Amino acid sequence: MKERFKVALAQISCKRADKTENIRKIEDNVVKAREQDAELVIFPELSLTGYTLRDQIYELAETIPGPSTRLLEKLARKMETYIVFGMPELSEKTQATIYNAAVLIGPDGLIGKYRKMYLPTHSVFEEKRYFRPGYQTAVFETDLGKIGLIICYDIFFPEVSRLTRLKGAQLIVCISASPAVRRTFFETLTAARAIENTAFLAYVNLVGIEDGLQFWGGSRLIGPNGKVLVKAKYDEEDLVIGEVNYVDIRPVETFVPTLKDLRPELFDKLKENAEKL
Amino acid sequence: MELTPSVLDIDWSEVETKIRRFIKDYVEQTGAKGIVLGLSGGLDSSTTAALSALAIGGDKVLGLLLPEQETYNTQDIKHAKLVAEKFGFKTEMIDITPALKVFYNTIPVFEKADKICKGNIKARTRMIYIYYYANRLNLLVCGSSDKSETMMGYFTKWGDVAADISPIMDLFKTQVRKLAQHIGIPKEIIKKPASPALWPGQLAEEELGIKYETLDLILYGLEHFMKPEEIAKQLGLKTELVEKIKHRWLYTEHKRRMLLTTKIEYRTVGTDFRLPRTLY
Repeated sequence: MKERFKVALAQISCKRADKTENIRKIEDNVVKAREQDAELVIFPELSLTGYTLRDQIYELAETIPGPSTRLLEKLARKMETYIVFGMPELSEKTQATIYNAAVLIGPDGLIGKYRKMYLPTHSVFEEKRYFRPGYQTAVFETDLGKIGLIICYDIFFPEVSRLTRLKGAQLIVCISASPAVRRTFFETLTAARAIENTAFLAYVNLVGIEDGLQFWGGSRLIGPNGKVLVKAKYDEEDLVIGEVNYVDIRPVETFVPTLKDLRPELFDKLKENAEKL
Repeated sequence: MELTPSVLDIDWSEVETKIRRFIKDYVEQTGAKGIVLGLSGGLDSSTTAALSALAIGGDKVLGLLLPEQETYNTQDIKHAKLVAEKFGFKTEMIDITPALKVFYNTIPVFEKADKICKGNIKARTRMIYIYYYANRLNLLVCGSSDKSETMMGYFTKWGDVAADISPIMDLFKTQVRKLAQHIGIPKEIIKKPASPALWPGQLAEEELGIKYETLDLILYGLEHFMKPEEIAKQLGLKTELVEKIKHRWLYTEHKRRMLLTTKIEYRTVGTDFRLPRTLY
């Protein structure tokens, strides 16, 4: 397993409901990222289809594996790289049950997927109308270490990142489609999740305008001490490369030992009180 | 939450950028050749026209001055032309009086004393002119309605509010004034009292019965789910006044939503055709 590698944050805008065009853009970015020696290339939430799909989602959702993941598997094999992207996942057992999924693909093909647990359905968001929530966190052992996947609004719930970290993730990848009015929240929470879990956190957000919603970009790689290692532009497409070096986790873990100091008995109390809210 | 004027203060550079990007993106996505909008010489249309010109270039923006006899105001026309010159967009002036007279003379139940009904004919006639230009020249209609008048329903249904995009609709009137100042709209336009000019001497604040500085804070409070009593207490107003504003806001929702029918079939137009506004 590599202790040290480069990761590319591919902050793209999507052409809504046009998977062919979006896959082409994903390919372009993977090629460019590989030229800069990145071994993991991360794309935003629902980057296969665009975010604001509403009822069109029923025509666009695919199973995993499915036609689109197979195309991207080919790309990952050819480019010998790891790719994370987002897509609406159609359940294999149904015809209209859809998850908001993050997919991890590697040089040997499909590695795994994560289904978004927290679906925002307030303000401009209507995810619960369309998606079934996931029930599992997702951590995958790869040549690039243990990689955990979370999606956007999940970051407001520290337990998702915590559980992902407790399952061993050293790098938490958060893919996102966050509109501009929420920028401060994400800028704060991405750093907080990295610090409290002493893990690397790669946040990749969408850009562009969909139905009047302007996505703010600002993708970033954050070190386990909360330091922003690289940051993409606000509001515009960008591709930035940062370096993950897991050796950096150790000094932070000794300096602020949040995992050592974890109190499991509090989780029972959390559960008890959350039920009574 | 404390309801002080500072709650309405936002980063005006960022707002300008967002609005310009929104306009440019929408024009590009739809493949339109530019923008057409009604230009009254007032704050809202001057600001919207200027932002459109900043977004896509003045050569692609056409401001239509559509005066009519009863409310003809040389100062407003001067102001409209002043903004056009400063921001470099095109204008055209058409006197709509003859068209209005045809309506007045041919509507059997026309009542000239009913100034609201008559005024609405003016707003809707302007809409027809603007949309004709849009259709003929492949332009998008850009609306100039602000959030204060939109929330109050203080507009003509299918009239001045009719547009393809409404870039300043999420900004209260007092916020539009600040944005206007930020982008360099001439002071005399920002300072003059707002008027829909549907009849001579019509003034928005007089008709609404409240100053925009107060109205905007009430609406901001309502937007943030504050209770009328709390808003009234904080602003030193009578609760009945805030209740009245709230009632007017809710009562006029029908003017802000299109295509109402009754549910009969599987997916109903308006209520559950949930589709993106544009294809891309």
